[in-house]
Amino acid sequence: MSRKQTPLRPYFEKMAEIGKELREGEVRRSQANVELVREQEEIIAKEILRVKNAGIPAEKIHQRGGMTIHDRLEYLVDAGTWSPLHSLYNPNDNVEGCTGVVNGIGKIEGKWAVIIGFDNKVMAGAWIAGQAENILMVTDMAKRLNVPLVWLTNCSGVKLMEQETVYAGRRSSGAPFYRHADLNHLGIPILNGIYGTNPAGGGYQGISPTILLAHDKANIAVGGAGIVGGMNPKGYIDEEAAQALIEGTKNFKGKVPGRVETHFDQTAYFREVHDTEQGVLDGIKDYMRMMPAYDPIMFRVAEPAEPRLTATDLNMLLPANQKRPYDAIQILARLTDNSEFMEYRPEYGREVFAGIAKIDGFPVAFIGNQQGVFPGYPDYANGEYPGVGGKHYREGLIKQGEFVTLCGRDNLPIIWLQDTTGIDVGDLAEEAELLALGQSLVYSIEQTELSMMCVVLRKGTAAAHYIMCGPQANNNNAFTLGTPLTEINVMHGETAAAASYARRLVKESEAGNDLAPTLEKMNQMIQDYKDKSQPAYCAKSGFVDEIVSLTDLRKYIQAFTGANYQNPRSITPVHQMLLPRIIKG
Amino acid sequence: MPELIAPIAGNVWKILVAVGDKVELDDELVILEALKMETPIYCDDAGTVTAIKVKEGDAVNEEDVLIVID
Repeated sequence: MSRKQTPLRPYFEKMAEIGKELREGEVRRSQANVELVREQEEIIAKEILRVKNAGIPAEKIHQRGGMTIHDRLEYLVDAGTWSPLHSLYNPNDNVEGCTGVVNGIGKIEGKWAVIIGFDNKVMAGAWIAGQAENILMVTDMAKRLNVPLVWLTNCSGVKLMEQETVYAGRRSSGAPFYRHADLNHLGIPILNGIYGTNPAGGGYQGISPTILLAHDKANIAVGGAGIVGGMNPKGYIDEEAAQALIEGTKNFKGKVPGRVETHFDQTAYFREVHDTEQGVLDGIKDYMRMMPAYDPIMFRVAEPAEPRLTATDLNMLLPANQKRPYDAIQILARLTDNSEFMEYRPEYGREVFAGIAKIDGFPVAFIGNQQGVFPGYPDYANGEYPGVGGKHYREGLIKQGEFVTLCGRDNLPIIWLQDTTGIDVGDLAEEAELLALGQSLVYSIEQTELSMMCVVLRKGTAAAHYIMCGPQANNNNAFTLGTPLTEINVMHGETAAAASYARRLVKESEAGNDLAPTLEKMNQMIQDYKDKSQPAYCAKSGFVDEIVSLTDLRKYIQAFTGANYQNPRSITPVHQMLLPRIIKG
Repeated sequence: MPELIAPIAGNVWKILVAVGDKVELDDELVILEALKMETPIYCDDAGTVTAIKVKEGDAVNEEDVLIVID
């Protein structure tokens, strides 16, 4: 009789249960917190709806017999798997209210892909400010996760009135063509469904992917029909030139170049042409079925399981009041399979937790900040002050560095749950080598080949936001999520106001002057910090890749984990892993 | 007679009950302020507040009695 099992069953099948059910009193006193979370969720939802409705109404596209980008995504992506990213990203505050592309991660025909498409409601998918950076973040993600990139191209080229915001520069709208070449070079396929008119920048957007599938009304070309007309030799437009333009435009009978007659019938760049928009998407699905992907059984260490404790508790557990502590393990218990966790060195470096958990049966690592007060810790403070959760001290930094290094060895993708106020400061902290240990953690992350994702649960502050694999970890961080309670800034507004104006206050006070004008400036600064740290601002500015409801965090963690294990570049045989043995001792 | 103890040293920022109040398990009774953080102190048993040993603004040490509940 054949017998089968998951690897290292004694370690992974049943790990230590963490977390506990909320008591009636805890639920009762947390209702105000639930309301505060809901208020922030409403702000985000309203913003997302505004972006979704950007440009011309969807009905107009439908009346023309077309599909919007959202229709296309809904048809293409497996139900329940779409995890949008950069929904509110608009760092240049474009009048369009967005960067003109819609993207995220999802499954197509059961396989994970990074998916991006031009919003054809917004200037027919024009290049607008911030879009190139958005695309680069997406191509980086496909590279990091080693999963196919799926494009839905529908790009009218540069928004000519604002060419200086998109055309030139190192990370401008031409850079994605190099990124596509890079992905192809690395063996990461790019599938391209092409719609509409795609001249110039749109043409290269069309040609640069791996497999090109076109709608029969689509075209891709070096330039559009208007550009073929050439330049006015006078260098300016006068009445005579205007008349010539009017006549020329009226009499223009030419067709746009690069149509299906050329690039299917003659050049054969297009693998397929479809007379329906859905047909193109069906073609992408066909190709997705051909994509390399391991069966999950290859890497699972246990059967997938939902957390034992309910996700809606998260809205009660994570305090909206940033000054309130909480039990971080209670948060973790709502994210991991069966609410289980194998913790690494729990008695050492108490301000952070680190360990192994399962997500959909795959082994993953979690690292996060503990909260609260730790009397008698850190040792080097000699009782002068207690440790505070959210801060990093010597032991915690050493623990994180060694854990990350071991994760690299064991090929465990890492999920960081960040809620940090910084690294300890002062002479004692310097003597305890915290500056070097912070950078040492950065080095540990960088020297791995691991994918990581970061969730800024509440605070991302000071250098600690960087060292806990924030988005600055360009080579490792696949994406960073915020929550309705996220607040990201270099320091709290009150601290910044004190640092900026303390000397001036002294000066004014000694001179016997009225302090009111300085206080007004300080309070304005505090308000400004508050406004520019809020979740919607963080998403708009690209501090995070998306703001996600606490109850949706696990969905994104599942997407990250599943994508990581779809086609990994490097494999550690589970039975040869070190970390579970080190934890067991 | 159960006593509510300060788990850390700090200042009493807010007292949310008065003598004679009936309290439930997990009610928030006192908020301590220390190290720029608020540390809420929750009731660990139902009963009636019979004594409040501190006032707002007081500095307290770890293990100090804050409130007595009968």
